[in-house]
Amino acid sequence: MIRIELLGSLSHRDVALRAVSASCKLVTSRPFGPVWNDFQMEVVSAFGEAFNNVVQHGYRGNSEGLIQIDVRIAPGRIDIDLSDWGTAFDPKAVPVPDLDGLPENGLGLYIMQSFMDISYRPGQPNILTLSKALRSGREDTELSRKTEGEE
Amino acid sequence: MTFEISTGDDGIMRLAIRGELDAVSVSELRPELDGLVNKRPRRVEVDLARLRMVDSSGVGALVSLYKRVRAQGGEVVVVGLQDQPLAIFRLLRLDKVMTGGDGVPSPTRQQGSSQN
Repeated sequence: MIRIELLGSLSHRDVALRAVSASCKLVTSRPFGPVWNDFQMEVVSAFGEAFNNVVQHGYRGNSEGLIQIDVRIAPGRIDIDLSDWGTAFDPKAVPVPDLDGLPENGLGLYIMQSFMDISYRPGQPNILTLSKALRSGREDTELSRKTEGEE
Repeated sequence: MTFEISTGDDGIMRLAIRGELDAVSVSELRPELDGLVNKRPRRVEVDLARLRMVDSSGVGALVSLYKRVRAQGGEVVVVGLQDQPLAIFRLLRLDKVMTGGDGVPSPTRQQGSSQN
């Protein structure tokens, strides 16, 4: 498991995202190709929204709050626990945005839920778990075989 | 994130954003977008060809620009979307609305890039 603890400040966001991005490389022995690229892009995008949510809503600008990130890696799978000690929220109470209305706000949770499976346990700490499996991509497999053949 | 705002001889305002437009960097861009809207442009081209990553905060700022310029009778077209920003725009169904249809780089974008 990879554990990182940092302040609930947007200034620490990039550090957290880079750690999660690098963790995606550990999910497979072949971290390349379109399927893995999409996997990493979706994990990092969803995690970024989760981090924003904690800083902006959980801690409401109190940058002294702590965020603990636990990344669990398994072959073809990543699970990320994001723990905070701020104000809890109910993901089920957040309305689905009306995309036809071109909303300017309320898109973060939608992005999170679209790209990863999420579960939330309010408490001290609140724990948001983001999970995603790397789908087996025929395209990537064929690319790998081709590369191996060339070698 | 870095950005450039320029006005071509054709009167079209071009906004090129590079790097990462997110909850951290969007605060730098918002005042510039306000200034851009105040000039009441008839057309704004937003060049995102060199944007590596965008989050919901960045999207919100661009949607706000789109709505305000259109409310004044102008138009906003996003060009050059690719990779993560394209995936986000597609997810939020903004690719068709804000790109004029295809969401891919256009000859106009390449003109704008050469001027920047």
